[in-house]
Amino acid sequence: MTKVEYWVKIPFGPIHPGLEEPEKFILTLDGERIVDVDVKLGYNLRGIQWIALRRNYVQIMYLAERMCGICSFSHNHTYTRAVEEAAGIEVPERAEYIRVIVGELERIHSHLLNLGVLAHDIGYDTVLHLTWLAREKVMDTLEAVAGNRVNYSMVTIGGVRRDIDEKRRRIILDMIKYYKEVFPQIEDIFLHDPTIEARFRDTAIISKRVALEQGAVGPTGRGSGIRDDARWSERLGVYPDLGIKPVMPQDVTGERPRGDVFDRMAVRIGELWQSLELIEHALDQMPDGKIKTFPKDNVLVAKLRIMVDGEGIGRYEAPRGELIHYVRGKKGSDKPLRWKPREPTFPNLFAVAEGVKGDQVADFVVAVASIDPCLSCTDRVAVVEDGKKRILTEKDLLKASIKKTREINPEIKGDPTPVGFGCSR
Amino acid sequence: MSEVNDNANVEKAQEEVKEPTKAEKVAKAIAERFPNAQVEVKTNKWGRERVWVRIDRESYRELMKFIKELDGEAHYSIGIEQDWGDDLGFLSHLVIYYRDSPAVSLLIDVHCPKDDPTLPDISDIFPIALQFEREGMEMVGIDFENAPDKRRLFLPEDFPEGIYPLRLDDKGVPEEMVHNAGHPYYLKGGAKK
Repeated sequence: MTKVEYWVKIPFGPIHPGLEEPEKFILTLDGERIVDVDVKLGYNLRGIQWIALRRNYVQIMYLAERMCGICSFSHNHTYTRAVEEAAGIEVPERAEYIRVIVGELERIHSHLLNLGVLAHDIGYDTVLHLTWLAREKVMDTLEAVAGNRVNYSMVTIGGVRRDIDEKRRRIILDMIKYYKEVFPQIEDIFLHDPTIEARFRDTAIISKRVALEQGAVGPTGRGSGIRDDARWSERLGVYPDLGIKPVMPQDVTGERPRGDVFDRMAVRIGELWQSLELIEHALDQMPDGKIKTFPKDNVLVAKLRIMVDGEGIGRYEAPRGELIHYVRGKKGSDKPLRWKPREPTFPNLFAVAEGVKGDQVADFVVAVASIDPCLSCTDRVAVVEDGKKRILTEKDLLKASIKKTREINPEIKGDPTPVGFGCSR
Repeated sequence: MSEVNDNANVEKAQEEVKEPTKAEKVAKAIAERFPNAQVEVKTNKWGRERVWVRIDRESYRELMKFIKELDGEAHYSIGIEQDWGDDLGFLSHLVIYYRDSPAVSLLIDVHCPKDDPTLPDISDIFPIALQFEREGMEMVGIDFENAPDKRRLFLPEDFPEGIYPLRLDDKGVPEEMVHNAGHPYYLKGGAKK
């Protein structure tokens, strides 16, 4: 008797309740088992690289920040590093320490966010609310330090914008004290809870070979046993003085890395503790002095026009992994000729698409969440509308939808006039 | 912990006898193996060394294989497609020897003329490179020969053929395609030449 296989292809996304952002996967299923995954990107395309060709270096700083709300500091910072390398600008030491502090605050909030999302995706919403309650403290601290909960605008080319004075320092120390009480509880839930272990262990295993082939970075790469951290391997800024080293799953769980969802989560737990330590050390060691090389933005724009000549690479470990920005400029122009960012989610997404093969379809959501995907970063390239195409506004869409409903069911009653103002476009 | 101390010792030794750094060793190895490549070690303001290599497209695949031989765990981090005016370029950044800090940051640049925009595909050596090549194909129109997947990655399916958004010449996005969202600094005529 021959075995007959029924393979089914189902689209997963772009709009799916399990996914936080628009991304499309085409899953080939054999029953409940995933056989193949095809990734389609571009549902959040905003044309940032194309826009950047029409902006100057200082304007792009804000554009880079708005690529993503969660890692807005990382993008801004890495872009700034790339321009500083291309222009040969030196950064004051105090500014480097402030960059470390804000970067690590951002890492804490991003990791807490992802831990909550992971718990939510297995239906463990109590833990989601607990983790996000704890996250509020770091968000408040960021607001006190930088003035905003997201898009901090802390970094500028050649330094930082705001100083950390005594009042802000006390707020950060207060936060550290709070987290020293809260983190053991979070660690206890995530590392020792049987429900979490049952769902996360041996789910979506990314082997070291696949991780190397697909270039997985950050917690995804380290969870699979790749010992690399861009802050450490790059000897970035003052990080070597603060004693940075990559956090591996064996440092947290005590077992060898298996590359599953649990290991990726364990790396994040370890990094929460590491970030607290780094902030503490940075606050202690921070020297006095000036915080930026160029006092005013108009001076900066004028200087960059002369100074940027050639190419520069910025490399930084964002909460999701190694982030790279490339900038090429020409002397005499205040615009870059090319700016390209590469986000950690880009390789991680392809790594997890390989890793999830052979798993149950029910594990797919948590597998995707385990790399902490940030699709608005990944989809950042050019978007343009076809010249001949008619663009539908919200009103047209509403009209068309009412028309269609009437076609399907002419008997329908009720007033289709929209309530409220809707979107102001 | 011992690694940190080792690095400190290595640095001290370098100051005394000027032993070549890891980056310089890699640069030398590449220069010896590929005499026609332009190899340069540049150091930025905070003392980070990067190896910049410019290679012709005939030896590009060979060089990538050579890097894989140098370090089997080489990490391919980004492929950057760009318009250089007369020709198109594809710049790759790789991180090698990252078992101890600092790792070697390696940049490999390869160019092809605009009237014959073909480059060899390296996705059998570094599988993730395929995704950057797909982006290169749709964004500036470099044709990667024998790439196993030539579909679009980011652009929608109904985007017109023959228009490459990141080209700076007349194959870029024409002005009539741009719908200005009301930006006060909208610059007519696209990128500044």
